[in-house]
Amino acid sequence: MDVSKYAALFLAESREHLNACNGSLLEWERAPASVEPVDRLFRSIHTIKGMAATMGYAAVAQLAHSAENLLDALRHDRVGATPTVFQLLFRAVDALGQAVEGVAAGSEADADTLLIAELDSAATGEGTPAAAGPQSPVASRPATVGTAPPTRRASDAPRSRPVHVTIRPGALMRGARAALVLRRAEGLGEVSGLRPAVAQLERDEFDGRFFFRLQTRLPDAEITSALGTVGEVEAVQLQEPAAEVEVEARSRQIRVDLRRLDALMKHVGELVVAKNRLSALSVGAADPALVELGERIARLVSAMQTEVLAARMTPVGEVFERFPRLARDLSRDLGKRIRFDMEGEEIELDRSILDEIGDPLLHLIRNAADHGIEPPDQRTSAGKPAEGRILLSATRERNTVALRVVDDGRGIDRARILEKARREGLATSDVDTLTDDLLVRVLARPGFSTAASVSGVSGRGVGVDVAMTRVRALGGTLEVRSELGRGSTFLIRVPLTLAIVRALLAEAGGERYAVPLAYVAETVEFDRRAVTSVRDREALVVRDQVIPTIHLRDLVSAPSQGQPARQPTVILEVGERRTALVVDALLGQQDIVVEPFDAPRGMPPFVGGATILADGKPALILDAAALL
Amino acid sequence: MNQTVLVCDDAIFMRTMISDILSQAGFEVVGEAESGLQAVEKYRMLKPDLVTMDIVMPDMGGIEAVREICKDDPAARILMCSAMGQQALVVEAIQAGAKDFVVKPFQPSRVLEAVQRVLA
Repeated sequence: MDVSKYAALFLAESREHLNACNGSLLEWERAPASVEPVDRLFRSIHTIKGMAATMGYAAVAQLAHSAENLLDALRHDRVGATPTVFQLLFRAVDALGQAVEGVAAGSEADADTLLIAELDSAATGEGTPAAAGPQSPVASRPATVGTAPPTRRASDAPRSRPVHVTIRPGALMRGARAALVLRRAEGLGEVSGLRPAVAQLERDEFDGRFFFRLQTRLPDAEITSALGTVGEVEAVQLQEPAAEVEVEARSRQIRVDLRRLDALMKHVGELVVAKNRLSALSVGAADPALVELGERIARLVSAMQTEVLAARMTPVGEVFERFPRLARDLSRDLGKRIRFDMEGEEIELDRSILDEIGDPLLHLIRNAADHGIEPPDQRTSAGKPAEGRILLSATRERNTVALRVVDDGRGIDRARILEKARREGLATSDVDTLTDDLLVRVLARPGFSTAASVSGVSGRGVGVDVAMTRVRALGGTLEVRSELGRGSTFLIRVPLTLAIVRALLAEAGGERYAVPLAYVAETVEFDRRAVTSVRDREALVVRDQVIPTIHLRDLVSAPSQGQPARQPTVILEVGERRTALVVDALLGQQDIVVEPFDAPRGMPPFVGGATILADGKPALILDAAALL
Repeated sequence: MNQTVLVCDDAIFMRTMISDILSQAGFEVVGEAESGLQAVEKYRMLKPDLVTMDIVMPDMGGIEAVREICKDDPAARILMCSAMGQQALVVEAIQAGAKDFVVKPFQPSRVLEAVQRVLA
């Protein structure tokens, strides 16, 4: 059998398992008495071994086999889980990772015989430092003794019965029907675990089916007949739902090559453009059938677009999961104590953005560990806990996802940065304080580093600028908040998806421009009477807030149109910064397909891309972040 | 003996229609009420087998009337007559003790089905 066509699948699954292994190892190391992580580790390694052997990757299989042996010994308490053993397992997982990547790249290396020997002797509890040293197991797991509690079921003891009720489709006020059923059920016994929730049922926000548990002594037949005779009830079933649902969820997952989804996305993108064009054409059409067909196609395309986008959404946890290991290694290498926490792993992002976001986060976490968190003694003398903390979090904010790297370390020394920025000509001498805004711009200058020495972890000045470049390429933004002695927060904000964005179309000087809605806070009228001036810059007062203005005509060097008293204005918002973009006219909203854009030489920085509009003509996409 | 009904609705039109549907099906309409207060009083007096109850009525609404009636007689068989869009009120009436409901505009067959269920 030719197995080469499975190589990609092998690689993808092995990577997943190895990532999971790192997670399990960390978890186990924190709580050596727990059984769960070691079982998961064992299963992952075992799976990798099986796949590798099938593919004929002997070196991978051999290494996995030895690691599996050691895990089995640990599982059965034949050897103790010492720090040395953990270190050995971490090394084994790393080596497996390298071996897997090696075969993927077409160069299968020989098995690491030394490591295999170490694993093997650790498994027999002989000859390794772990076993030869003083017997000091971190903990040995309690043996599972005893048998399952006897299952006793007296026939008259109340039993908890799962109840599924279906209201007849088309029945009026299904929520009130459900209330009748529930009231009747309460007369039979104790009702719990209602799904959907009462509030949803009462608002009719369900499909006519609901579920609850009923604790009662009554036989099944009596329950079904009592509840089944409530008006408009179509069916009452007493059975466990969980198994059924789970089987369904499992069997409905398939693996899809990302390139397939990319291609699908591209086609849908073109379809969206065609749809927009069709809608524009059919508006003027006299044939009502054509108009109706146009609307129908528009609805179908939107539905399809939503589905494809949803299929591409991936939890950020997939990128996050390698960071706990990174943080652990960093704290060891740097001789610091760092607690690393993550939040919001379930927040989803488009796969293509997720793939790009790992590197920027890596740089920011390294920076936080290296520059942010102080060595334990410094922390203690500053009155802080010896253990520093780094938090990586994801939150959904409007059409963007905010990723934060927060540390409680020493914070950024603005005076030192300002001095350095002046020396390098990045700041003029009249600037005497660094705002957070200016700070991030200075930090993001290529090659800018304040680290006294290059530490191998960071300090070469390729932290913030790399992060900034990547994030900006994604149409995102990078912000920093820092307080001396208290810590720093780096905030990356990226759009949910790249390919299709909803945009506001604006006109200036006869050309049309698209502004991604993710950064539009509101639209207002530019009223000459509400104009003021702040530090020689024109600004608009909107509800007592002073917002600097930019005239799109000036920006694109279109001739000024005199001074009309009123003009439509788009308030752009990135984080807490706002700017008012004054345009000639607003032309409504449209889904635009962002075309990859190799910016020609001389293209101004505020142009983030290009798109084709409904009438088939191109428009430039404005990069909100560059305007602020 | 025919089963007895008390019809409560503030609109004569509705009372007449419901009375007709039920009489034709062999029920005896022993009384009518045009407010919640009347409904409670007449229930105590007439002890009917069934009550049809409008939700929105002057001088004590239908839900309050259900509550009062059930306080005296938890076994009272009350059928709510509701308009579209009153789901929240219907749910409240059910929690107060109403046994079933029908939704206006009425179809005679639906009303009778509901009555049978309540009396079953």
